[in-house]
Amino acid sequence: MPSETVRCAIVGSGLAALATYATLRRGGVRPEEIAVYGTHEDPTEVWRTRAAAIRQQRMRSESDGHVAAAAFPGLAVREAARALTLAPLVASVANRYHPRVEDFLQHAESVRAESGWEQSFRRERIERITPVDDGFAVDGATFRHVLVATGHPGLAQPPEYNGAVHAYEPHDYASKVAVVGAGMAAATEWLNALAAGSEVVSIRRREPLRRALNVPREFFSKRGLATFHATSDERRAATLRELSTPSYPPGAAWDEPIAAAVADGRFSVAERASADAQVICATGFRKGWREDPLLRDLVETNDLATHGRWIELAPDSTVPALTDTMRTLSLAGVAAQWSFPAADTIAGAKYAAHGFLRHVCPTR
Amino acid sequence: MSYTLKGRVESRLAAALPVLVLAFVLHRWWAIELVALMLAIGLALDLVYDRLLAYQPGWLALPLGLFELGLVYTAMRALDLMAPLRWALVLYGVAWLSGQVFAHALFPRFRLEYAEAGGELGRAGGVAAVAVVAAALAGVGAAYSVRPPTVHLHGTVQGPLVIRHAQTLVGGIVNGGIVIRADHVTLRDVTVHGGENGIDIEDSHHVMLENVHVVGSELDGIHVRRASVMIDGCTVSSPAGPWVQGIDISFSMDKEMSMVERCTIVGVREGIVTHMSMVDVEHNRVGETSLRGITMGEMSMGSIRDNDVLGAHGVGIICLDHSECSIEDNTIAGTKVDKTDPQRSGVAIQAHFFAKAQLEGNTVVASPGGIEALDNSTITHR
Repeated sequence: MPSETVRCAIVGSGLAALATYATLRRGGVRPEEIAVYGTHEDPTEVWRTRAAAIRQQRMRSESDGHVAAAAFPGLAVREAARALTLAPLVASVANRYHPRVEDFLQHAESVRAESGWEQSFRRERIERITPVDDGFAVDGATFRHVLVATGHPGLAQPPEYNGAVHAYEPHDYASKVAVVGAGMAAATEWLNALAAGSEVVSIRRREPLRRALNVPREFFSKRGLATFHATSDERRAATLRELSTPSYPPGAAWDEPIAAAVADGRFSVAERASADAQVICATGFRKGWREDPLLRDLVETNDLATHGRWIELAPDSTVPALTDTMRTLSLAGVAAQWSFPAADTIAGAKYAAHGFLRHVCPTR
Repeated sequence: MSYTLKGRVESRLAAALPVLVLAFVLHRWWAIELVALMLAIGLALDLVYDRLLAYQPGWLALPLGLFELGLVYTAMRALDLMAPLRWALVLYGVAWLSGQVFAHALFPRFRLEYAEAGGELGRAGGVAAVAVVAAALAGVGAAYSVRPPTVHLHGTVQGPLVIRHAQTLVGGIVNGGIVIRADHVTLRDVTVHGGENGIDIEDSHHVMLENVHVVGSELDGIHVRRASVMIDGCTVSSPAGPWVQGIDISFSMDKEMSMVERCTIVGVREGIVTHMSMVDVEHNRVGETSLRGITMGEMSMGSIRDNDVLGAHGVGIICLDHSECSIEDNTIAGTKVDKTDPQRSGVAIQAHFFAKAQLEGNTVVASPGGIEALDNSTITHR
């Protein structure tokens, strides 16, 4: 049970939680002052399982896309030092460096090991966060500052394909595969199935967008965010809807195998899967605060402001109605999109962590 | 990275700290002035970059750096900032490199949210930026307040004029020669009549002669011993006797490199001669010399480049006595045969007595002795 010296709680134990934990530790907060509540002691476990399911080899993020508190040294620098080559650095300055998943996970593991994560971790699923005087009651203890990083609320499965395997679940490929979706996971599955010798049918309602990152670069910094934060709620929601359109990166590594498969008659596009095809749903995650029991309870119990599927947040990812000089409630991960459109990325996790740290250590 | 304007300015100023420290360590006013010039140009460009570059990829630092270097160099010349080119490039290189190291490594460690804050550095960064501006301005102010006095000469002054303190002497005519015995002396647009040596410089550093004219001296037009000098745009003519040399720079091997450029020297015994010195001799016109046009001798090192040596008697250009000379793109024309000495048979370029000369792109016209190496010397054609 946490002692009275504990002043921060992180609810959730995934990558966003680890990024926040590393940031707090870097900011001088001791392990005994932090409680991390989650169901997985290994913060990479959920993400790693999903990445393995779609056989992802490289990250979509770039050199800075790691969970350590400071951006430098990034993964490109580390790879360059390890392999004694400048190639990763050259690729990085040209925005063409995407770290290997294996390197990302190894680095995350080293961050966890060095941070003292185990000292703070409590295997507990938190179902309610209750505002109390000068803080929040979580698991019977009171914390002045709480960050909620519960991640995606679950896999999205189109009703017409109920029972089909989801891309993020372990699976193999039949001789004919129908991949539902048009985002990064779908594109990865096309290449995986083609490499496995399958015939691929892409089931999609629209042509996929081609974007290097999930979200345009200006939304990763104050320059673009200031405009985003200043816009009306309607406009902000419209922007978020537009940005949530499935996309995958441009480049020959994606296009050439598909072009070759089209020429061989092994890749086609259809509106519905045929009965003889193995259906794989690369349809991402369920969206919105209503899908997450903890967030739904927070919103409904405390009458928090929302707009559609988003909880309205302050620019620093805090919940305005439950944050003041004495206490902080922050959201990280996909639930924090109202303050940071790319909230479900590592950069988004760090953005929320930085805001949280400013509240925890206001003199920094 | 997507910089805000404030982020650009703070990052640029705080990253200038190493080059500013280097400028103060160098203890030369031109270094501080150059850093201030770099910052001024950089800050002006930041206003432009802010409008043009919503996002700045890492690779763009290189072309932008070269562009800014061109602007700084142009401004340096336009403002007559007397920074040696090599040091100016070193300072600029340090500034650019530290800018990259700070932006990509140190700032992100110093401020975790550096990138998402658009390069803004927070309270400490703002203080650092203001400190850099204050230090640069203080340095420039101090440089301005203690700069050597400028003395304008009007009419004719009876010499010899002896200079023992740093100063800039501008204009006028001096009869009887000028003697320089101080560092940081500049002569500009001065004409010297007569004197044993027209301009005599000894044991002095950073002496600059710009557009000086020496007429009728008795020994050397410009006589340099154990000193470093930059001579840009001079004339030496009408010698008072047959033994007069144009410019003689000797025994300065342990001093900073000297330079002689854009001078016209006519009718002397040797046009430009060096002994035991490091000198670059470029873009000069030397004519009608009675012994040699240009001599780099006695273990000297340097380059002889883009000069015109016309009508020399005996030898046009010589690399002599263990010297190492780079002789490039010169024109040697009409070198005359000295019938009293078979080694002076109208030779355009000669290496003599263990000297090493590297030749490239020279034009030899009407010089019957051509190019030759004598007495264990070597000539290499590149």
